[in-house]
Amino acid sequence: MNIKKLGRLVWPYLIWLFVLVLIPLLMMLVLSFFETRGLNFDNAVFTMNHWFQDLRDPSVLKALENSFTFAGTTVIIVFLIGYPMAYILAHSSFANKMIILMLTIIPMWSNSLLRNNALRNLLSDASLVNDLLSRIGLSFIWNVKGTETGIIVALVLTYLPFMILPIYTVLEKMDKNLIEASMDLGASPVRTFFKVTFPLSIKGVVTGVIMVFLPSFSGFAVPYILGDGKFVLVGTIIEKSYNYNINFVSTLSILLVVVIFFMIFFVSKVDKEGESFL
Amino acid sequence: MGKKLIQLKGITKIYDDEAVVDNIDLYINENEFITLLGPSGCGKTTTLRMIGGFEKPDKGEIILNDVVVNDLPPYERPINTVFQRYALFPHLNVFDNIAFGLRNAKAPKEEINARVEAALKLVSLPNFASRKVALLSGGQQQRVAIARAIVNRPKILLLDEPLAALDLKLRQNMQYELKEMQRKLGITFIYVTHDQEEALTMSDTIVVMNKGKIQQIGTPTGIYNEPKNRFVANFIGESNIMEGKYIKPNWVQFMGTEFECIDTHFSAGEAVDVVIRPEDFDIILATEAKLSGVVSSSVFKGVHFELCVMIQGKEFVVHTYENRPVGSEIGLKVDPYEIHLMKVENGEH
Repeated sequence: MNIKKLGRLVWPYLIWLFVLVLIPLLMMLVLSFFETRGLNFDNAVFTMNHWFQDLRDPSVLKALENSFTFAGTTVIIVFLIGYPMAYILAHSSFANKMIILMLTIIPMWSNSLLRNNALRNLLSDASLVNDLLSRIGLSFIWNVKGTETGIIVALVLTYLPFMILPIYTVLEKMDKNLIEASMDLGASPVRTFFKVTFPLSIKGVVTGVIMVFLPSFSGFAVPYILGDGKFVLVGTIIEKSYNYNINFVSTLSILLVVVIFFMIFFVSKVDKEGESFL
Repeated sequence: MGKKLIQLKGITKIYDDEAVVDNIDLYINENEFITLLGPSGCGKTTTLRMIGGFEKPDKGEIILNDVVVNDLPPYERPINTVFQRYALFPHLNVFDNIAFGLRNAKAPKEEINARVEAALKLVSLPNFASRKVALLSGGQQQRVAIARAIVNRPKILLLDEPLAALDLKLRQNMQYELKEMQRKLGITFIYVTHDQEEALTMSDTIVVMNKGKIQQIGTPTGIYNEPKNRFVANFIGESNIMEGKYIKPNWVQFMGTEFECIDTHFSAGEAVDVVIRPEDFDIILATEAKLSGVVSSSVFKGVHFELCVMIQGKEFVVHTYENRPVGSEIGLKVDPYEIHLMKVENGEH
C-alpha cells in the first residue's frame, strides 16, 4: 500500500513509530558504543569494548548458544505438532474447526507468568499429576522442572498457537481445486501434499517459524520460571544486567534487533516470490 | 463412431436427501465430443465429477472399458480435467504446470520436454514455458489448463464450463479450436456447459439435463429440430409452444385451426405440444393466412428483425429479414415439416 494514498491517516502511526520505536533504537545503538552511568552522558567514554570484548565473554557466548538451541528446538517441535494440527483443522468440518481453534487461542488470554508458574507446579515432582499417578499405583515420577525438557515443554505450549494460526490461515485460503487438479493429473494424496499443498503453505510456515523463534530466542520469563534460573539465556542476561550495565544491555538488544531484522528480511524475500503468484 | 468407452448405469447422487443426479443412463463412444447441457443445478457438473472420480455415486455403476471404476481414485483414472477456474498451480511456471502429470507418471526428461513443447504449440503458446501463470491473461491461462490436461494423452478429457470466464469473441475462437483439437487428438471430450449455443456449435452429441434427469440425447440438429419436450424446446433456442390436439396422421389442430404436419405416431385426439421456431414462419398477407395478428414490437438483432406478433391474445416470436412496422397486421404461414409435435408430459399444461 502506498503511504501517500493513506494521507493524513498515517501520521499518528508514523509519530508513534518515531517516538517509541526509532528513537529508543537509536538511543540503544549510541549507548552500545559508550561507557555511561545509566542514561547520564556526563563523562561518557566512547568504546568498542561492548561489541568486541563483552560479547565474547564465555557466559554471553553460552547464553547465545542456549538461546539458539532452545529457540531452534522449540521451532522444530512446534512445527511438527503445529503443521498437522493446522492441516487437520483446515480440512475438518466447520463446527469442529471453531472449537479447536478456540482451544488453541484461549491459553493466550491468560497471563503468561501465571500460566508458566502453573505449568512449573504441574511439572515438579510434588505435582498433582505425579501425586495422582502414584495414588493409582504408578510410581513413575516425571520431574522436568528446572531441566531443558521443562523449558522446551513450556516454550512449545506457549508458542504453539503462533505456528498453528498462520499455517491454518494459508491452508484455509488455499484453492481446494488445486488439490483436485493435482489428483486429476495422477498425483497420489501423499505426492499431492508434497508437490502442491506444502509448497503453497510455505508462507504460513515461514511466518510461523519466525513468530515462534523470535520470542523464544529473546524471552526470559519462560526459561527463568521453568528452568529455576539455572540457565543463562540472552533474555536473562539482559534482565539481570539492566540495572548496572545499560551499555552492554543495549549491545545485546541491538544484536537481537539485527537477528530479527535478518529474519524478517528473509521472510520478505520468500513473501515477494509469493506475492507475484498469489 | 468407435466403441463404447464409458458407460453410466443408473447413476444417482444424493445431497441432503435430494437426488442431484437421478438414475442416469448414458454411454459415450470413443472419439466423441459429448456435451452435458442444462441450467445450473441440473446435475451436469456432478455427473462430470463422478466420471472424474471426485465424487462417488450413491447408486449405479460407472464402467470404463468394461471395468467398473466406481471406487477408482482420480489419480488412477485415464481421465484428465480442464477445470472451470483453470486451477493452475500458482507456485509453478507454465512448463512445470504442464509437466506436472508427466512427472507424476515418471516420464523420462527428454520425453517431458518434447511433449510439453508440443502441447504448448498445440495451444498456440510457444515460448511461454518459463512464464509465471499469474502473469497470463484469462485466455492464456485457459490454454495452459488445456495443455496441462492433454499432454498426458488421456482417454477422456473432461471440460467443466472451460470458456465461461472468457469474453464473447475469445469464447467463439476457443470453441472452434477445441473442436479442432478434439478431431486432431482423437480424445473423447466430455464437455459441460449451460450455454446452448456452445453446445450446438461443438458437439457430436448433446445430453440435455434438468433436475438431475436426462431430458434428451441427440445430435445438435436432432435436438434443435425435434425437441422431445417443453423443457428442451425452451432451453435450446427460442420457441413458440402451443397446446394442440392431434387429429389424425398428418393433421394437427392448434390456435383454432387445423394444420398439415408430418408427424404420424400419435393417437387420434391426443393432446400434444406444438413447437414452431421463430425463423420457420413466413410472413404473408393477413387475408391469406390461417394465423394472423398485429405486430406489437420489432427489434433489430443484427442479421434479422425479431417481431412480436399478437395472435388471439398469445404472443408469437417471429424472425424475419424484412421489417414490419409495429401496429401492422400480418399473416403467418408455416410449412408442414416446420411444425413439430411433442408428447405432453404429466403435470404440464
